[in-house]
Amino acid sequence: MKRAIFILLALVLISAGVFAGGQGEAKKVKLIYMTAGDVNMLALGQNVFGPEFEKKYPNISLVTIHTGPGNAGSQRIYEKILAESKSNKEEWDVDVAMVHQIFMKWAMEKDLLLKFAKDLDTWKYVTSPFAKKALGVDIEGYAMPMFHSQTALAYNPKYVKNPPKSYKELEEWVKKNPGKFGYNGIKGGMSGVSFTVGWVYAKTGKYQKYAVTGPFEQSEVNSWEGVFKDLKEFNKYVTFTAGNVGTLDALNRGEIWMGPVWVDMFFTFMNEGKMDPNTKLILPEPGMPGQPMYFVIPKKAAHADAAKKFVEFATSPEIQAKDIVERFNWYPGIDGSYLKDYIPKEVYNKIYRDVTPKDLAKKGLAFPLADYFSAILESYEKWVK
Amino acid sequence: MGKIVMSDNVQKRRGFIFPPYILLLFPAVSFMLLVYAYPFVSSVLKSFINKEGALSLDNYFKAWDLYLKDILFTFSITVFNTIASGIVAILLAVYFRLHESPISRFLLNLYRLPIFIPFVVVAQMMNSFLAPHGLLNVALAQLRLIDLNNPLQLFNFIGLSFGFIWKLAPFTILIIYGGFQMIDNSYIEAGRSAGAKWFKLITRILIPMNKPSIMVALVLIYSQIVGTFTLPYMLIGGKIPTTITVDIAHRVNYFRDFGVANALGVFSYILVFVTAIYYLKTKVKEVK
Repeated sequence: MKRAIFILLALVLISAGVFAGGQGEAKKVKLIYMTAGDVNMLALGQNVFGPEFEKKYPNISLVTIHTGPGNAGSQRIYEKILAESKSNKEEWDVDVAMVHQIFMKWAMEKDLLLKFAKDLDTWKYVTSPFAKKALGVDIEGYAMPMFHSQTALAYNPKYVKNPPKSYKELEEWVKKNPGKFGYNGIKGGMSGVSFTVGWVYAKTGKYQKYAVTGPFEQSEVNSWEGVFKDLKEFNKYVTFTAGNVGTLDALNRGEIWMGPVWVDMFFTFMNEGKMDPNTKLILPEPGMPGQPMYFVIPKKAAHADAAKKFVEFATSPEIQAKDIVERFNWYPGIDGSYLKDYIPKEVYNKIYRDVTPKDLAKKGLAFPLADYFSAILESYEKWVK
Repeated sequence: MGKIVMSDNVQKRRGFIFPPYILLLFPAVSFMLLVYAYPFVSSVLKSFINKEGALSLDNYFKAWDLYLKDILFTFSITVFNTIASGIVAILLAVYFRLHESPISRFLLNLYRLPIFIPFVVVAQMMNSFLAPHGLLNVALAQLRLIDLNNPLQLFNFIGLSFGFIWKLAPFTILIIYGGFQMIDNSYIEAGRSAGAKWFKLITRILIPMNKPSIMVALVLIYSQIVGTFTLPYMLIGGKIPTTITVDIAHRVNYFRDFGVANALGVFSYILVFVTAIYYLKTKVKEVK
């Protein structure tokens, strides 16, 4: 009899558990994750983060929405969140978003974001100055860097024995090797933009003012005529490539011997067998810009807590090592030193082989303040035509 | 007799009531107004509003100052490729019309392929085909026609034109060949029996009798070339000069500067305006 009661009780408990589980199922949170960036960002959300995150938190499902590459992609996210803020709704649709630096300027101006980053367990791993400021705008606490992508010069050591170590040496080098340096101008993708920004830093020596402290002064812009006339001269010895990928392709086909590339694209090409594994990287003095992409949570996100869990998950050393570095070849958003235990040694060495963490700290520069940035791009169009 | 008809008309006009069948036009017209007319008008209006929100010509000055070269480049690319695609298309359409053979029938089926390939795919193809060490140059080097150390540079006007003609000539053939098929064989036979050779047949019979469809085809590809973004962006995006569409994308992506982008848009409207009017006129004539 006792036994029967016990079994009955057990059954009741189990069925209660099942039903409770069922109820939990009904309440499953749909976390809306909007991401800018190339198609690989969609793949990351949909095929990597989605399944892994759901395994850890079975009652949250991740819905990834991809808006498109470059600032235009971030712009669409900004417009969506801005529209929601104007709608006076209490709960906004987008729970968490992945954005570029310029987004931070736009969104901070309109006060669209939640201050969440310091609540995360993983905030303590963040050492990057990019987490404090984006294009001169104070963003500490409002954004969590997921990864850092860096530009550098890639070169083919078969033809280039002693790569130029600075922009100055590069200027000499192209004259000796006309047509063998290639980049994509400023309208063909960000690697060319980054090279041009680095050029301005090198020629003026005013990185601190343009990218960190400010302020913006028109007199600075007016002083750039010589800087860009030199670039115009430089361009005479240069091959123009067809986009970010165009530079990598041209390098691999041997059309050019050197050119600015995104480091992550470079390693991805190499892993996919589309790039000669002997090709090397160098960060020339005084450095070239790179940029992070950030997680942000809109101010009235419907599922802010779940969103925080998601960001915490994606910025944990384990995921940063496995997905961000190993799979997608970015530099981590958190401090690289926390990843050593989670990453095979050869991967760590490959990614930091040519450009060491020390190089990165010294020569991994930021893009300039938004006003200087626009001024650089526009001056290029004005003087180099 | 005439008088009666006139007074009848007058009466009709006086008693004008909104005929109910006009309602049938409502969905189509409102769709056109909303989706085409509204953005068009607003882009023209916004091109006259500067960053401070005031009415001015600032955007035009800037567009003129920075992008004049690109506007001219776009114009020359467009005109050249319209004419070139037209010539290629007429020659092939004539060949299909006058020659019946297994080869021509095979080509007749094959030529349509590029119509179904989107521009972005064409751009990617051209990217690897025309590159300095791309398929074309390597093939030519294998035939010892060029030296691979000094290959043909095709990421420029020539390469871009090659891409446009490859993609747009088939569409032009489709329309022009259709027109040629409407011409009765008896005209061609009459010409032949009077001693006309190929060239005379084309210039005296086929082209004159098919002028409307040729012009329509040219107008359509002309405006397509002006508006194409992907092909120029992926071939010569970073170069100077480039096309208006690339500049518009640049203004919007990097500066969020819709003013100058709209002004550039207006320049491209002007480029297509003349041909658009021609197209409308012929269409109106056809309906009459």
